[in-house]
Amino acid sequence: MTTSTSAPVTAPTKSAVAARTKGLRKEYGSTVAVDRVDLEVPEGAVLGMLGPNGSGKTTTIRMLLGLVRPTQGEIELLGKPLPDGAEHALPHVGALVEGPGFHPFLSGRENLVRCAAFEPLLPKKQIKQAVEDALERVGLAQAAHRRYRGYSLGMKQRLGLAAALLVPRKLVVLDEPTNGLDPAGTREIRKIIAELHGAGSTVLVSSHLLSEVEATCTHVAVLHRGTVVAQGELTELLQAGGSALQVITPDVETALSALRQAKISARPLGDGLRVELAGTSAPQVIETLVKAGAQVFEATRWKTGLEELFARLTEAEEAERGMSAVDTLDGGSR
Amino acid sequence: MITRQFASEVRWMLRRPRTLIGLFGLILVPIIISFGIWTAGEGEGGPGLAAILQGNGMVVPIFTLFLSLNLLLPLVASIWAADGLAGEAQHGTLRGLLVAPVSRVRLLFVKLFGLAAMSLLAVTLMAVVGIIAGTAFLGTDGMVTLTGTTLSTGEGLLRIGLFILLVTFQMVSIGAVALAVSATTEHPLVVQAATMTTIIVFQVLGQFSSLDWLHPFLITTGFPGLVDVMRDPIPPDQIWSSTLLAGCYLLIGTGLAAMRLITKDS
Repeated sequence: MTTSTSAPVTAPTKSAVAARTKGLRKEYGSTVAVDRVDLEVPEGAVLGMLGPNGSGKTTTIRMLLGLVRPTQGEIELLGKPLPDGAEHALPHVGALVEGPGFHPFLSGRENLVRCAAFEPLLPKKQIKQAVEDALERVGLAQAAHRRYRGYSLGMKQRLGLAAALLVPRKLVVLDEPTNGLDPAGTREIRKIIAELHGAGSTVLVSSHLLSEVEATCTHVAVLHRGTVVAQGELTELLQAGGSALQVITPDVETALSALRQAKISARPLGDGLRVELAGTSAPQVIETLVKAGAQVFEATRWKTGLEELFARLTEAEEAERGMSAVDTLDGGSR
Repeated sequence: MITRQFASEVRWMLRRPRTLIGLFGLILVPIIISFGIWTAGEGEGGPGLAAILQGNGMVVPIFTLFLSLNLLLPLVASIWAADGLAGEAQHGTLRGLLVAPVSRVRLLFVKLFGLAAMSLLAVTLMAVVGIIAGTAFLGTDGMVTLTGTTLSTGEGLLRIGLFILLVTFQMVSIGAVALAVSATTEHPLVVQAATMTTIIVFQVLGQFSSLDWLHPFLITTGFPGLVDVMRDPIPPDQIWSSTLLAGCYLLIGTGLAAMRLITKDS
């Protein structure tokens, strides 16, 4: 992981955490949208928030921004408690939440000017320049005079991003920023995230596109059913999740029962088995298999991508195994 | 900072196509009234204000605003209030403002200011067009009052100015209540429907003498009393009570809107 040592020296904060939640819970009527969320966004990190649809990503983000009042729990944003400290913390936070929201009858530029009028950190004289810069940065300068009504999904998304970047921010929160963008647009978003990271800003990106997160993030938090099931540095999580062995064997049944007896978790996969290396090692697994009389043709160390880790953490059918994997991960990442 | 936000709000409201169409519609009212009275000719005057309209162009703005206050102006106020919070929530722009951040109480004042500024603009515009159209169609020799005296043009303009302020205040008070509704929903139409239904129901309730005890609480009850600006000298009692009643609506509306907005999830 790369820490942003190039970060400009800011006022000394109590902790190196840009945002933190403790025991966050939100109920809508009888539905619990988010429960026991303890999230930490380290300063200078690019934290990818992953989770299937409805896992509570957006609700968590809305609570982080003071848009929604938590039913329970505490939030700290840039060292200020929310919601009381919102007025002091939020000027330093740029956000694109739940898709871009603009007035259809105004042009892109006019919409940004209206946003800029409400930015406490932006002096009146700089509004014009800030708007042009933001438009340029997201590649909308050519279409800025057109009405928002006629924008394509990708252009709308870019305008939303421009609004978040009107002022230099300490924290930028992007909820599904690549929604509706073509591959070129996606690359540009990545570039912008990298620039922000380079400039020392903290970035919180929520996404269900895993490749996205893998490509841009230093940290990951995985949400599932309204709670954080794993978080930490991306590389550490991947390493911890990478301890699996793929075994090619014709004797799947024999192998499975032998492993089960040895209390090693495994499941059939393709031409053989996938064996978790949690609490065991590759030689032990192979020894167990050979002793049980299963023919081992091939054993390969599983190369885990984020996708696999994610699937393991969030697949509903494997809740039990998923949870035990989380425990291991948590142990590994702390 | 707050003046910049006020300015942005008014600019935003003025840029809306529906605002421009609405304002255009409003200035048609005094023109149509003037034209109608002119074609009707002598001796067709109705009761009250309508009776003194003939040959009395300066009364047209008063008559126009008085007529419009019953339905048209509350409708316009409710549209602005609906767009102010419910409409912004619907477009997702309310989130943007809150994250900027604008504190929720301040946001309410920005909205209230926009409503007041636009109401004043609309009412003044109607009055000015009323003076012009009235004078053009009906001619004028000062302003004949309901009491039968004639005021000088300057005095007449002062009366019109006073009436503009009184009507604007009524309109803003209705708008404040509409803002309270607007804070509870994401659907602007709900706000308009609720406001207009209330105004109409109030006017219907005002017709039943068996409900006398209720009448002092209905904002619509205060409307007719405002016409007292057309008497000479002005009897202040009804004007005061109407304005006081509207003030109560303004305070209650603003209070409810603030309470809702502060705890609102958006």
